[in-house]
Amino acid sequence: MRASPILSEVTKTAVAGQSHAVRVRDVTMDFGSGSSPAVDRASFDLEKGKFLTILGPSGSGKTTLLRMIAGFQRPTRGDITIGGKPVDAAPPHRRSVGMVFQKLALFPHMTAAENVAFPLKMRRFNPAKTPARVREFLDLVKLGDFGGRRVNELSGGQQQRVAIARALVFEPELLLLDEPLAALDRKLREEMQLEFRRIQRELGVTTINVTHDQREALVVSDDIIVMDGGIIQQHAKPVEMYRAPENLFVSSFLGVSTFIDGQVAEGGMHAADGSLLRGTPVSVGLQTGQRGRGAIRAEQIRIDQDQGGLSHCDTVLQVAIKDVIFEGERLLYTAASPILPGVDFQIYHHDPEAFDLYEVGQQVWIGWKAGDLKVFKAAD
Amino acid sequence: MTTDPDNSDFRYPLRWRLMDGAERLLEIVWPRRFGRFTGWLLLLPALLLVGILVLGLWQMAESSLHVLDRNTFLPSEEYTLSNYGTIWQSATYFKVIWRSVQGAVWTVVFTLLLAFPFAYVLVRTPRAWVRKLLLIALFLPFFIGQVVRAYGILIVLGTSGAVNDVFGLIGVGPYRLLFNFPAVVFGLVQYMLPFAVLMLAPALTSIPQETETAASSLGANWLRSMRHVVLPMAKPGIVGASLVVMTLSLTDFAMPAMLGGGSQDFIANAIYDQFFRTADQGLGSALALLLVALGSVLVAVIIGLFGAGTLGMGEKK
Repeated sequence: MRASPILSEVTKTAVAGQSHAVRVRDVTMDFGSGSSPAVDRASFDLEKGKFLTILGPSGSGKTTLLRMIAGFQRPTRGDITIGGKPVDAAPPHRRSVGMVFQKLALFPHMTAAENVAFPLKMRRFNPAKTPARVREFLDLVKLGDFGGRRVNELSGGQQQRVAIARALVFEPELLLLDEPLAALDRKLREEMQLEFRRIQRELGVTTINVTHDQREALVVSDDIIVMDGGIIQQHAKPVEMYRAPENLFVSSFLGVSTFIDGQVAEGGMHAADGSLLRGTPVSVGLQTGQRGRGAIRAEQIRIDQDQGGLSHCDTVLQVAIKDVIFEGERLLYTAASPILPGVDFQIYHHDPEAFDLYEVGQQVWIGWKAGDLKVFKAAD
Repeated sequence: MTTDPDNSDFRYPLRWRLMDGAERLLEIVWPRRFGRFTGWLLLLPALLLVGILVLGLWQMAESSLHVLDRNTFLPSEEYTLSNYGTIWQSATYFKVIWRSVQGAVWTVVFTLLLAFPFAYVLVRTPRAWVRKLLLIALFLPFFIGQVVRAYGILIVLGTSGAVNDVFGLIGVGPYRLLFNFPAVVFGLVQYMLPFAVLMLAPALTSIPQETETAASSLGANWLRSMRHVVLPMAKPGIVGASLVVMTLSLTDFAMPAMLGGGSQDFIANAIYDQFFRTADQGLGSALALLLVALGSVLVAVIIGLFGAGTLGMGEKK
């Protein structure tokens, strides 16, 4: 039986609408006074149950975007839909959104359990079922025995857990994380990142996380949005975001890269002396002869004592080692080539056996594959 | 490489050199070996102040135990509690004391009701000009003494004052707005408002904006966020403001004297009358000590109910 094309179109939209927990369309936040918008026509969809991280430097507009989704600020233009319902006019307390704040914002005059019970009371949850629900969520964040403690009697990590339980206990359709891990020391931060992921998967709650920590974004997310200057630069899965950055900003923001300025050429770019560096054009509309900027990641440059060891590379250069930094699991070399004045190559080198491979001043060879040197339009 | 300090162009900033000079001078006046007494030295002004107060109270306690000899108009030689007996048996003094306590309580209630929103807007407003305006409104009254303000209220609330003029325009009145209990409380509230705001503002400032934001994202509307989050967290400031307003109102003199027109005396007015009108030092002293006791009991009750920790002093464990 053939369904009418219009009907099937409508059905498709309805199904798509259901699986999208969050839908952001052309959302703009313009604070006026002549400055450029804090958020400029941001659009994205987020599937139910997925973990999205909005990654960007400070001032990129990521927090403003999050606050608009939470309802603390109203967009100048654009529409936000949560769970299929437009929420443009809804104040925060009428949205089904749980949020973990940067400074946690726990209530100091209440115990851990009272903090967790607060949203249930405010949202008129059945009082008879409240204690069991509070207990269940304290257990979820592994704080089952700490319910009676006051907030200032808990450690930093435990306070984080109370904040998570409080944001999730009323089973919101959406969980927002506003850089809650920024103030923690590295070890605790990495532990909590995994905790966030575990809890998020256990409950299957759709989550939007905001951070400037690229490692956190790569570790916890199903999807990443990179923002800069109020504009969404790229929206992709972590691996894709890291391996195939769409523009210079994303390329420089994630990972450690070496940047080479030159002229775009067939199959790569020309260095100052005219020799060809093999690469792959990325920017749309990039033309031969144009000024371009190549980017290559530190782990994609191979390094060897002899040219012969780099026979699998498409471009090989002789360089002089300028600096060696021992980072524990790897070495970071800085090296320069006479044909690329002003360029300091950053090279990661993993060698499980050697104590010290190359010394400062030593002449060595480096090389890379054509697919790894990404050529972008030169920044204006 | 060493540089000869005498040939160098470098000189320490003037303020540093002045401080060095001050330190050398201090070494002469108060040598370092006196160091362990420095704490006591710094405490000296406070000890002097409290000492004079205690001395004065002691003298008043002493004179409250002598009755006035009506023949010689001198205090009697023998010690007696009859001044306290006079107060105990007097319906007038009971009325005056009860009026003072009531006046203080009402003033606390109305002052807090007005001061809290004022302080909240002052702390939370995102507009700089609103905050500036509120700050000017807050500090301006401090430049105008209590007596001048009471006189201003006399003019505004008088039978031919601005308020009755407005009543006249809508065809009612004139009403007698002055020389009654509400007029005194009105004057006291007007006088206490800035003190209360000054006590509340720091307490509200110490509540992070994010805490209120969190309450709203957790489902609390504005009113419930006030009731469950802001008010409990502002408790130290509210208790502190209540104490200040309560004690200042209880002991106030000018407002009951001027706005009460003699019919609404508080304890301070009664004390004044005994000292300066009837020249009965003994009775005046007894009344004054009673006022000190009453104030202390009220403060003790408030601190007992809410805890001294709530004054924001001392560390909470």
